Amino acid sequence: MIKTDICDLLRIEYPVFQGGMAWVANASLATAVSEAGGLGIIAAMNSNGEQLRAEIKKAKEMTDKPFGVNVMLMSPYADEVSAVIAEEKIPVVTTGAGNPSKYIPLWKESGAKIIPVVPSTALARMVEKRGADAVIAEGGESGGHVGDLTTMALVPQVCDAVKIPVIAAGGIADGRGIAAAFMLGAVGVQMGTRFLVAKECTIHQNYKDKVLAAKDIDTIVTGKRLGHPVRCLKNNLSRSMFEKEYDSSVSNEELENMGVGALRRAAIDGDTSNSTLMAGQIAAMVTKEQTCKEIITEIMQEAETILKGASKWVK
Amino acid sequence: MTLEKVTAILAEYKEMDASEITAESTFEELGLDSLDVVEIVMKIEDEFNITLEMNSEINTVGKLADFIDTLL
Repeated sequence: MIKTDICDLLRIEYPVFQGGMAWVANASLATAVSEAGGLGIIAAMNSNGEQLRAEIKKAKEMTDKPFGVNVMLMSPYADEVSAVIAEEKIPVVTTGAGNPSKYIPLWKESGAKIIPVVPSTALARMVEKRGADAVIAEGGESGGHVGDLTTMALVPQVCDAVKIPVIAAGGIADGRGIAAAFMLGAVGVQMGTRFLVAKECTIHQNYKDKVLAAKDIDTIVTGKRLGHPVRCLKNNLSRSMFEKEYDSSVSNEELENMGVGALRRAAIDGDTSNSTLMAGQIAAMVTKEQTCKEIITEIMQEAETILKGASKWVK
Repeated sequence: MTLEKVTAILAEYKEMDASEITAESTFEELGLDSLDVVEIVMKIEDEFNITLEMNSEINTVGKLADFIDTLL
């Protein structure tokens, strides 16, 4: 049985978060993770306030367990969804793609635990100083929007920089990853790609099949030139974007437009060619479709076995 | 005084000569991305012992120095 500070803080059974993936992390997936004892998270992505409220309502009908909402700070509706999170008394809010400082007082007042995703120690220090309850240190092995540092390098540095609990993310798909994250100082993990293929995940089957078939070298990072790099599976679109990034005759606007709507085409329409199939470097380790309950039970058992055996090298 | 201190912090961070940075220099011109700005803000907070909430209107070195003065 593995229990950490984050379990007590958030009243969850297992220290496992499901990442707030846009077009993926809806009420179905989030409530399945929460029902299984982890922390399910609904992605507010580019939804407006009322769309998010409807998804929250759906989730509240599906579970009594705590679940969180992830705010994508670059969204044009970030103000609106932040207010909805406070009004709906969501117990946990995670943030991505920016600095959430201006919303912290609002969420503190509504009683939410605030857990920003951070790609650097400076942002971790900044949000701690402003009242964040924990941080998610996410390395660039992860799928979707990525930072430069790897999980192996980032997690211990963030642990040294702040006193609040640190959740590790990026490159974690099984119990080995969880055990390693704990060794680096984390007290919990966030996984995205492993939950992409969960039975309760409602993305198009074609997307799941691509993840299930992926090899170790099948992800690529596009959009570096635009300042917001994205890791996804190699396909016609991502290969073409990658090439055009080094072509100075292609404008930034043109490059930007190639990505518009591409995640939706993958997740909803099942287009696997002209789309962005966001996935992490561990996609190849994700080989079976399971329920969220099966996933969490399996990885926590693996982690426990590994952590118990970790002392075997100490003579 | 604040402007000089901020300029010195930026010059050190970017390994530039302080004379290359003026009150009108924008963060964009200085080649600072959003994570760099977070680094700079934390350096300034430590140096001045303040909490600095940035907003999109504070986009030049001079405006940043003026804003810091309102917090001192």
